[in-house]
Amino acid sequence: MKAAYHLIVSVSLLLLTACSQNQPVKESQLALMKTTNPTPLSTERKNNSDRVEDIKRDVSSLPELYDVAVIKGEKDTLVVYKVKHMHRFKMKTIEKNLNKKLEKNHPKENFTVSSDYKIFLEAVRLNEGMKSGRLSHSKAEKRLEEIVKMTEDMK
Amino acid sequence: MASKQKKMTPQQKNYQTLQQKHELKRPVLKNCIKAFLVGGIICMIGQAVSYFYIYYFNFTEQSVGNPTVATMVFFSMLLTGFGVYDHIGQFAGAGSAVPVTGFGNSVISAAIEHRTEGFVLGVGGNMFKLAGSVILFGVFSAFVVALIKTLLVMWGVL
Repeated sequence: MKAAYHLIVSVSLLLLTACSQNQPVKESQLALMKTTNPTPLSTERKNNSDRVEDIKRDVSSLPELYDVAVIKGEKDTLVVYKVKHMHRFKMKTIEKNLNKKLEKNHPKENFTVSSDYKIFLEAVRLNEGMKSGRLSHSKAEKRLEEIVKMTEDMK
Repeated sequence: MASKQKKMTPQQKNYQTLQQKHELKRPVLKNCIKAFLVGGIICMIGQAVSYFYIYYFNFTEQSVGNPTVATMVFFSMLLTGFGVYDHIGQFAGAGSAVPVTGFGNSVISAAIEHRTEGFVLGVGGNMFKLAGSVILFGVFSAFVVALIKTLLVMWGVL
């Protein structure tokens, strides 16, 4: 009985670990557990990386936040962040303050702000897709709109 | 209590001191640590389940609670059926009863206990003997809270 138990455990461990060797770990796979700080990107064709980086710097300056993803689209700009553990009691206030700050510093942008892990994960996945060239500008814009819609559905 | 002790006969008093001498002390701290660890492990598994739903399905942090709770209750029901959860319960006490898995355990253990009395009057009639009060209390308190919120919204307070 004991031998059968050991056999089952070792075979399942072998099966589970065998296929995962030498595979590159994507950043999005660990996005919920560690700080990823993805580079801010824009789905637009024209180069406006300075503006996007400016937005990210503004958001990161808040002491309660520790991981920020910014993706600028044609219509909306998605800002997703993680809140430090002990500050999670004041999520609403943080979101309000962030909205105020962004509207003041970047009045022309239409911001969608979220602290949801799923939105963060999707933003990191979109970022990876754009960096690797897997997603074209139009596809990335479409995906961004879907993520923004998902954020609006939560309200 | 004091008046009760006054009324005690010397024999009763002697018996009480003897009983106190031989009474086994409950290892409260040890039980607390066991409950903390096992309850924490159950919650960690729950967190892993919710991350699984966030990663592979379209659930957000807000909506992932429902499938996670359902999955955890289902796991505990299976473990109760296989007789594993009883051992966990004996070891961890409140650590296994307080999380939502204790709910699944209370449903299935009552069903197994009354299986011999038939499926309708036995299993059906006694399945929610323990968990029924939890469901009733949950539904009723949710109704009261929703009523208060609706009134506050109507009056413009919220």
